[in-house]
Amino acid sequence: MTVQARDLTKDYKFGFHDVDVSVFRTEKGISPEVVAAISDHKQEPAWMLRFRLKALEHFFKRPMPTWGADLSGIDFDNIYYYIKPVEEMGRSWDDVPDSIRQTFDRLGIPEAERKFLAGVSAQYDSEVVYHSIRADLEKLGVLFSDCDTGLRDHEELFKRYFGTVIPPNDNKFAALNSAVWSGGSFVYVPKGVRVEIPLQAYFRINSDNMGQFERTLIIADEGSYVHYIEGCTAPTYSNDSLHAAVVEIIAEKGAHVRYTTIQNWSDNVYNLVTKRAIAKEDATIEWIDGNLGSKVTMKYPSIYLMGERAHGEVLSAAFAGSGQHQDAGSKCIHVAPNTTSNVVSRSISKGRGRTSYRGHIKVLPKASNVKANVRCDALLLDEESRSDTYPYMDIENPDVTFGHEATVSKVGEDQIFYLQSRGIDEQQATALIVNGFFEPFVKELPMEYAVELNRLLALSMEGSIG
Amino acid sequence: MTEAATATGTVGRESLQARLAASPAWLADRRTAAWDAFAALPVPSSSRDEDWRRTDISKLHLERFGQAGPAGAELLELGRSRHGAALPEAALVVSGPDGTTAVENAESLQAQGVIISSLAEASARHPELVQRGLSRIGVGESYFTAMWNALWQGGAFVYVPAGVHAMTPVWISHLAAGGDAASFPGTVVVLDEHASLTLVEDTVGPVDTSPRLSVAVTALVLGAEARLDDIPVQQLPPATWHFSLRRATCGPAAHYRLLGASLGAQLQKAYWDVLLEGRGAEADILAVCFAERRQHLDHQSLQLHAGPDTRSNLLLKVAARDQAQSVYGGLIDVLPEAIHADGYVVNRNLLLSHGAGASGVPRLEIKANDVRCGHGTTVGHVDDEERFYLMARGIPASEAERLVVRGYFADVLDRIPMETTREWLVSLLDAEIGAVEAAPAPEAER
Repeated sequence: MTVQARDLTKDYKFGFHDVDVSVFRTEKGISPEVVAAISDHKQEPAWMLRFRLKALEHFFKRPMPTWGADLSGIDFDNIYYYIKPVEEMGRSWDDVPDSIRQTFDRLGIPEAERKFLAGVSAQYDSEVVYHSIRADLEKLGVLFSDCDTGLRDHEELFKRYFGTVIPPNDNKFAALNSAVWSGGSFVYVPKGVRVEIPLQAYFRINSDNMGQFERTLIIADEGSYVHYIEGCTAPTYSNDSLHAAVVEIIAEKGAHVRYTTIQNWSDNVYNLVTKRAIAKEDATIEWIDGNLGSKVTMKYPSIYLMGERAHGEVLSAAFAGSGQHQDAGSKCIHVAPNTTSNVVSRSISKGRGRTSYRGHIKVLPKASNVKANVRCDALLLDEESRSDTYPYMDIENPDVTFGHEATVSKVGEDQIFYLQSRGIDEQQATALIVNGFFEPFVKELPMEYAVELNRLLALSMEGSIG
Repeated sequence: MTEAATATGTVGRESLQARLAASPAWLADRRTAAWDAFAALPVPSSSRDEDWRRTDISKLHLERFGQAGPAGAELLELGRSRHGAALPEAALVVSGPDGTTAVENAESLQAQGVIISSLAEASARHPELVQRGLSRIGVGESYFTAMWNALWQGGAFVYVPAGVHAMTPVWISHLAAGGDAASFPGTVVVLDEHASLTLVEDTVGPVDTSPRLSVAVTALVLGAEARLDDIPVQQLPPATWHFSLRRATCGPAAHYRLLGASLGAQLQKAYWDVLLEGRGAEADILAVCFAERRQHLDHQSLQLHAGPDTRSNLLLKVAARDQAQSVYGGLIDVLPEAIHADGYVVNRNLLLSHGAGASGVPRLEIKANDVRCGHGTTVGHVDDEERFYLMARGIPASEAERLVVRGYFADVLDRIPMETTREWLVSLLDAEIGAVEAAPAPEAER
């Protein structure tokens, strides 16, 4: 069987971009002056400026990571760190400039909202331009805004949690984000409140050489539940773009937070994201993490199980086509006794694509009666693709049940043969197998995402059989 | 920095000069190149080097280890008695820390055309065979390998000619240096086409608690369709720093099988590499490791699939007690040419006490397409239920633990083909887990 690479970007549905309408942007490159200008423009409190400047020092001090993907293509001096596209936050579609609305229309946001969205928070460049929260959520006391608004309107709550899960010196890219962050979502769910419909935000990079550094902070108070969905698409540009986001989640006692991402950046984007959640007593954190796009992704959603009986789940799927490197994985750190975690990872490489699973399970000495399981499977579609698995584990408590299993294989000839013998052609058969392989991930997605993902997969599989 | 730090110890220029004087020209050149590489290499660092991340050797001071003297009568007797208990029919090579090597009981093998001697002697008499044996050991590939290449002495060498099935096994007894000294044990084995051999490599030392250094290399080369059963047993004294590289290179359809046990040393860093170069080469690596007190035992494995239709399987079972730490790092590396490669690695850990720890990274790097590879890791503990079940039948707690651990190790040990060797290894493990004699006889047997 010969399998040919097909360039995923040819099918890239969102590879258009509108004329740049930005109204304020900092100089290219990064310096304390740029950071101060961002903070000044946002009229932030002094403590936030200090936080940013301190983070910038960490960013300058930290070396580039030498492990993982090749990051040598990033030129920090050739990036705009802040662009503000419109003066005011849009409250309804009519207020949003036409060009931006067209972009969103093509992404299908209004349709999605007509279905069952709780609120749409669409990030265009660095600032949230449109934002609506349904009245019933407001009545429940749920806060859902962009992060800048969160800081402005709920400073005390914001300050209590901001930067506590991912300190600014955590890693080079978290430090960069902490220095220049803008936009992202701020979510607070009060005690005992269940948000039954998912909160969604669309993020979008739309300026040449534009780095996007959104910051998301989700606080689920005791006994609450929330499902947050982040979907990313980006127009195609010739110069490499950088996306370095930080996502912090705090699940207080008994809270349950599910965070779903489908990342579909165009294939010039370096996607270097730090995502971390803290699960307190009896809390549950779920990361549902799909990586389809970008040139390079390095993303390891992590869960710190700090309270007894906390539970963590990571379900991830990655697809790497020609020229793409998806270096994704997860970390579960068991700090408290009776905590459990489960990681399931599925990845597919095609063309010269490369997927890596990089994970870490750590069980600290005081964490007795821990159960942890990691399962990763990789599928190779042709001779040029590559898959690596790096599962780290450190177990410091004997009272633990830990299992890890991984497989790498190609699409089985016997599976193809079986399907062909039932009248399905080879291409369809491969697509079916790929769909089945991603099934554990897809079935956890809300329906419109599942449909979209299956369609994207089908597109990327077209013509893959020579 | 290395030069200055080691000026006073055996790891220094003076030792090198003495080795050069006793080496044939080709070997002297190799030693010199290795020394130059060693002097230029930094000491492995847990903050810089990925494979040393969980093993910190910043407290290793090479200058404190002097030149080893000859093995004492007691140590020689220990080495011989282990051979006598486990596999008396095997030809015996006793390799002392000072380079003295004795070959015994090898007449029947020599009659088959098998060459069995010290590595030093073979280097002079059969340079092309030794060079073949060392062909996959880079002179300066790593800090400790470079050190060994420059400074090894004595050692053991075995060559089995084409088509010869060695009538008896070969037992190599590497005796460690006395306190505050260093030894550089080396074994080179070359099997020609269709040859077969069973090898036991027993690394032991004087039973005391003074610090010593052991830097070992074992190079095994299997020609087409050759077959090697390799049983390395490491039971060095408690305060030993042990760094070893064991590398088997397999030609077409060769079958390499390792059945190992790591029991001793304070800190062990052992690399077990199999290079599956020929089409259809196969390797099975099965090992047990028992770590106790403050032992830090680190295994790193490489399953390199370079040829098509190659198969490898690794199972490392570790039990750790007290404050012992087990570290495992494994890599299955499938090169683009290795189509239809089939590789598997499993690391199992049994933690017996609070304070014991296990860490590991079984990595896969797959660059070929038509492959089947996998790995697994588990960490578990002796179930309270298991313990209760056994104790309910009158078996004391310590004995129950020993039974569980013995059962845990059984699927590896059971595969050792020679019954006497298997029983000997079981008794070594029993002694490590807890003196059998000290435990009262189980009620059930009265």
